[in-house]
Amino acid sequence: MSDEPNDPQTDGGTASEPASKEPKEFEEHPLEWDEPENNDKAPEDRKSVSRPAEKFDDRKLVTGQAKYTADYEQRFPDLAHAAVVRSTVPHGRVTAIETDEAEEMDGVYAVLTPWSDAAPDAKYTSAGQSYPEPSPWDMNVLNEHVRYVGDPIAAVAAEDAAAAASAVESIEVEYEEYDHVVDPEEAFDEDAPQLFDDDEVENKIVGHDYDRNRMSNIEGEIGDVDAAIDRDDVHVHETEWETIRQSHAQIEKHTSLAYTDEDDRKVLVTSTQVPNHTRRQLAHLFDIPIRDIRVKKPRVGGGFGGKQAMVVEPLPLALSLAADRPVMYEASRDEEFYAMRSRHPMTVRARTAVTDDGEIEAIDLYALSNTGAYGSHGMTVAGNVGSKPMPLYSKVPNARFEADIVHTNTPQTGAMRGYGAPQGTLALEGHLDEVARDLDLDPIEFRRDHYMEVGDLDEIAGMMGGEGAERRIRSCGLDECVERGKAAIGWDELEQPAEDHLHRGIGMALSAQGTGVAGDELGAAQLMMNEDGSFHLQVGGVDIGTGADTAFIQIAAEVLGCDEDDIIVKSSDTDNTPFDYGAYASSTTYISGMAVKKAAEDAKERILDWASRMLDEPAENLETRDGEVYSEETGDAVTLEDIGYESVYGHDDREHILGKGTHSTEESPPPFAAQFVDVTVDEETGEFEVNELVVAVDCGVAINPGMAEGQVEGANHMSFEMAVSEGITVDERGRAEVSDFDQYGLPSATETPPIESILVETHEPTGPFGAKSVAEVPTNTVPPALSNAIREAVGVRINEMPITAEKIKAALEER
Amino acid sequence: MEIQLTINDEPTTVEVESDEDLATVLRRNGYTGVKCGCDGGACGASKVFVDDEVKMACGVDARSAEGAEIETIENLGTQDDLHPIQEAFVDHFAVQCGFCIPGMIIAAKSLLADNPDPTEAEVREAIDDNLCRCTGYQKPVEAILDAADRMRGERSVAADGGSRIEPDQTDCTAHGGDPDE
Repeated sequence: MSDEPNDPQTDGGTASEPASKEPKEFEEHPLEWDEPENNDKAPEDRKSVSRPAEKFDDRKLVTGQAKYTADYEQRFPDLAHAAVVRSTVPHGRVTAIETDEAEEMDGVYAVLTPWSDAAPDAKYTSAGQSYPEPSPWDMNVLNEHVRYVGDPIAAVAAEDAAAAASAVESIEVEYEEYDHVVDPEEAFDEDAPQLFDDDEVENKIVGHDYDRNRMSNIEGEIGDVDAAIDRDDVHVHETEWETIRQSHAQIEKHTSLAYTDEDDRKVLVTSTQVPNHTRRQLAHLFDIPIRDIRVKKPRVGGGFGGKQAMVVEPLPLALSLAADRPVMYEASRDEEFYAMRSRHPMTVRARTAVTDDGEIEAIDLYALSNTGAYGSHGMTVAGNVGSKPMPLYSKVPNARFEADIVHTNTPQTGAMRGYGAPQGTLALEGHLDEVARDLDLDPIEFRRDHYMEVGDLDEIAGMMGGEGAERRIRSCGLDECVERGKAAIGWDELEQPAEDHLHRGIGMALSAQGTGVAGDELGAAQLMMNEDGSFHLQVGGVDIGTGADTAFIQIAAEVLGCDEDDIIVKSSDTDNTPFDYGAYASSTTYISGMAVKKAAEDAKERILDWASRMLDEPAENLETRDGEVYSEETGDAVTLEDIGYESVYGHDDREHILGKGTHSTEESPPPFAAQFVDVTVDEETGEFEVNELVVAVDCGVAINPGMAEGQVEGANHMSFEMAVSEGITVDERGRAEVSDFDQYGLPSATETPPIESILVETHEPTGPFGAKSVAEVPTNTVPPALSNAIREAVGVRINEMPITAEKIKAALEER
Repeated sequence: MEIQLTINDEPTTVEVESDEDLATVLRRNGYTGVKCGCDGGACGASKVFVDDEVKMACGVDARSAEGAEIETIENLGTQDDLHPIQEAFVDHFAVQCGFCIPGMIIAAKSLLADNPDPTEAEVREAIDDNLCRCTGYQKPVEAILDAADRMRGERSVAADGGSRIEPDQTDCTAHGGDPDE
């Protein structure tokens, strides 16, 4: 890996030359998309797609039979348990570690420190991204230079969790403690304590300046924003917004189990979103060939981006090699809050230049992102603050985005559902609402005058650089999202409460996301036919609880004309499934699903060929349906089961029918959402109650509407939390002040308002059967819509998340 | 030490270390439908019945359960013969990652035993300490209300009125994809 500044290609986040002001033609993104045959089926012609097929693992899940990583414990009688010694100082250098007592304890099998031979000493990033990673290699598995309260220093494997915990308690660490900094504004000062020397980081990222604790700076512009702002016929508005450090709070903690199997393979059974990236990163850290590592994913108890990282896997692997036995590491819930990952807290400034009659001439966003002690996902998340929400207003001629990503001595941040878009959407959608109010414009019509529509050439998505980030909009249901959302929330018939001190208001916000990373994704699938006419679908795509495996089955069943029950899916085991970049960037159905579709079409071609021989009919007359291949000419049919037997037993030219598909694309079509929030505010106390959340989402064709609605509602719940909960607060030493669910404000069933999800169907020609993504876009919208609703109800603006009664009361008093 | 428990109607002797919680003991004995999400009685994933009372097993000292009758998710229904609550969760797409779901179903069973015709507010109250990160609770609440209808013998319509499940789509059996291999 070179030390040259990385010029990363992914996730919309890199600096580049400002794009030309001349409109481009985007010949590589034509409006008339060369869509695969039979991709656009009318609803009545779909047999599996857009039907509520039962989730394939649901019966296991509801009966407690599904196996998550920790449930593998039963299978290893000699399993050891790991525990970790973590830094108690926010910044310093470990000068001595006393491990003698731990090593002599009964039941302790291995103790590792940064100086142990068995501890990997290579630099790496925990971010599970494509290669080369667009994140700096700035950390070690066990760190001598510690940068936050929680940095791993030493690790123990022992016969059970209690013994491992006792051993960890007996280990004493001496530090040389350094000054520390927890505030990102202060960290950016040249006199601030410096977290990294330049030579402590490999794979440095564009715009790094470690003298100022800056991990990266990115900037992109189209048109000329400064010139537009200087015009004398525009109003210039500026607002600033602050977001929380949100926990993923997935209920299954980070859990990973490592062992060496009978074929000498290093096996990780692990709760991950990124098996292939994890395998590659482990190979780098341990200097083991990629081929000798196997990463397999059982059921995963939620990820939300927190497992789009190699957070814990190196520890059990190192310990299992040192102890020569299987080792499992399960983070504690306390560790989840202070030592795993969280959403990047940010300050985002929004500025616009708008004419008297409401033309937006320029949008300018700037983000200061606190990446915490390490830089994982720092640059790419910050890039998405601009590149996801700003393209909503693709008709605005001048746009600029800049971000500084700085280190502080606070817990590590990382990928989280929405991936920067929630921070940017709050700023942009809150800001535009305020501008509309200032200019006395209808907030929806003001947006409608500028937002995307089919046929638009979206240059804003590409202004941050990145292969293929520029795009053509070929599906857009924004109008329908807005209209159906308005109707569902009762936009035009809002009734005020009888009490004078209570005021009701509805706020709205729009959102766009991407579907996969333009130009930087890969999914692959194989389909093999069994002689009984059933199929084994092997797919690299990763189901982390979203239902992706079921969507894969539905896509394959639609192509093959068979029942969903006749397809067995096996996903995400690097020994047995093809390559996949992993479950992130809303790519799974779109990228891996398209690979499945191609694999099914490949297999179908062979099936029709066999049926052609068996029916003595040309293949072009044949079609699959209901487990049969039939002739449209003669009506003759042969079952898939007959073809299965015939292909492997019955003919001289025997073959095993196999289909393969692999998919990558320059496209990343945006899904869209329109959010509506109905709130009642008490003008005397500032207390407020959210009466209802309505969110309408254009996700193209929903492969499984029931599952898609679930994704929308769950995402909206997470977005609601971002608006009203404090997240992970840190003390003056940067230590997370939250250690359990009682302290972390994950809204419970009684604390969550009713959520109405509306699926707006469009057809995205680049996606499998018209699908684009669904799971992230509703994560972005509640903070701005709630801020806008409170502004509507009582006339005050809350710019800083979380929105609390105290803040509203203070603002009301200032009014 | 050894203690006697009746687990899912089977009298059993189990080994218990001092300070061990009931969730750990149940999981070690194969009842891995009992999940641990929080290290201590805050997420609801480890809910079981102890002598007909719902407890978070991770918050129960195992030795204190000596002689108790324990019922776990494994006792409710099988994949081929789901309990009506389980069936409703499947039909309503109320399950995403599924990690919190066994605990939530136990809570629902307890609620419906005491209150066969709950309001939505009562359902939300009953699962208030079952934290879920995936669903936003909307579909689990709908599922539990529908399960109440089913258990009272009234045929159900999806609670939101918008996505009625056609019978031919509710009858399909589980696919055989074993996550173990």
